[in-house]
Amino acid sequence: MSTWIELFPDLLPGLWVTIKLTLLALGLGLPCGVVLAGLSAAPSRWVRWPVIVVVEIGRGVPGLIVLYLVYRGLPQVDVVLSAFLSAGVGLAFSTAAYTAEIIRAGIAAVPVGHREAARALSLSPLQEFRLVVLPQALRTVIAPLVGFSIILYQGTSLAYAISVPELLSRAYNAASITFQFGAALTLAGAMYAVVSLTATALAGARSRERVL
Amino acid sequence: MNHPPQPLLEASDICIAYGGHQVVHDVSLAVAPGEVISLIGPSGAGKSSFLRSINWLEPPCSGTLTFDGSTFRGLRDGGVSKRQLQGLRRSIGMVFQQFNLFPHLSALENVVLAQVHALGRSKAEARERALQELHHVGLGEVTDKLPSKCSGGQQQRIAIARALALDPQVMLFDEPTSALDPEYAMDVLVTMRRLADEGMTMLVVTHEMHFAAEVADRVVFMAEGRVVEEGPAAALIRDPQHERTQKFLAAVKGR
Ligand SMILES: Nc1ncnc2c1ncn2[C@@H]1O[C@H](COP(=O)(O)OP(=O)(O)O)[C@@H](O)[C@H]1O
Ligand SMILES: [Mg+2]
Repeated sequence: MSTWIELFPDLLPGLWVTIKLTLLALGLGLPCGVVLAGLSAAPSRWVRWPVIVVVEIGRGVPGLIVLYLVYRGLPQVDVVLSAFLSAGVGLAFSTAAYTAEIIRAGIAAVPVGHREAARALSLSPLQEFRLVVLPQALRTVIAPLVGFSIILYQGTSLAYAISVPELLSRAYNAASITFQFGAALTLAGAMYAVVSLTATALAGARSRERVL
Repeated sequence: MNHPPQPLLEASDICIAYGGHQVVHDVSLAVAPGEVISLIGPSGAGKSSFLRSINWLEPPCSGTLTFDGSTFRGLRDGGVSKRQLQGLRRSIGMVFQQFNLFPHLSALENVVLAQVHALGRSKAEARERALQELHHVGLGEVTDKLPSKCSGGQQQRIAIARALALDPQVMLFDEPTSALDPEYAMDVLVTMRRLADEGMTMLVVTHEMHFAAEVADRVVFMAEGRVVEEGPAAALIRDPQHERTQKFLAAVKGR
């Protein structure tokens, strides 16, 4: 217990980096996900197909490979990003792909009759999407998006591999000085868990509010 | 009337196909202003498809529609532009079997939405009109409820108010009471009858033979994608000429 208390100040800045990384990946990735989801339903297959390919690559390639590609690969074409930004951009790419798929499914779940009603009321295709489809889809995708965000939050530990000083690397470094790997890693695990579980609980309370 | 009035709406040789499989064959129908027409026939006859081609929800593969001085051509004959389409839909209201209210909006907001976004009315004006339409269908008290909190009969009347708020010249109904319990169906039928009495031009796909006989001016019987028989409502239902019509009406009345 006392070891944990001693380690805590060392790990806290790592938690902050981890949270920033999560928010960066979501901030960049989620808007791209919304756009990709919209485009994957485009009438033209010349738009639809490339989008589907990008989304499937994003979901199919392991996050670690994406991080290495951004961090080690991009400098070969003279794009040099800091470790933190590389991790953010890499995770944002995966985020865009996964959230695009979640939102696409939410859009597909809107009953076709509601779209027909919108059309019969002479709303334009864009109004139909913005006023009728999207508000309904957003309700069904909130829970899966929160679930994904929590997995993403834990997934930021991949950034350890490119030396971003996030929570896991802080814990690992602290332990390599004192050799208390057990204590440092369980403390880091607990810090991941506390934030994850709090987020889950908050999201649950919010969605119950909406139903009532 | 000695001279039949100029039709408000005329469908000529409408053909509809799904994935190459044709389900409506050369159906023609002229609708006079203020006329109420019931489309009847067995399930799968193509009644819904034909009705939905009139506001282009189901674009016909060939044939033409003339409405209010404009001509709309089927896909094979050139199709229609987006502008034409919105003009057509602005003037034609539609009521669906499954109501299709927007579940995230209250009754009032359902009726307001297209007034603001399709017609460009101000929010205040649209609200005023929505309240008026909801009162008119007997729903002054449910304006702030979500559709899921309303009975089926109320939902369908909200849907009717939503369509009427856009000042349509024609109303299309696709089995508006088929999803309702009989007591709620009655409320909707009463509303439709009043609309007919007020002079609205209406096309109604229905299995309610009483409604067809009493409210409609004309009945069109369809089977296998074609018009088999049509005529004045009461006479056709009392005394059908075609064997296919006789069989259908006997089966419906026997239920
Ligand atoms: N969206 C669709 N895709 C494929 N086939 C359809 C579709 N809608 C209707 N059909 C077919 O077209 C035929 C006519 O259907 P419909 O117009 O719904 O008839 P009705 O309303 O008289 O029951 C039926 O055989 C039906 O299976
Ligand atoms: Mg039908």
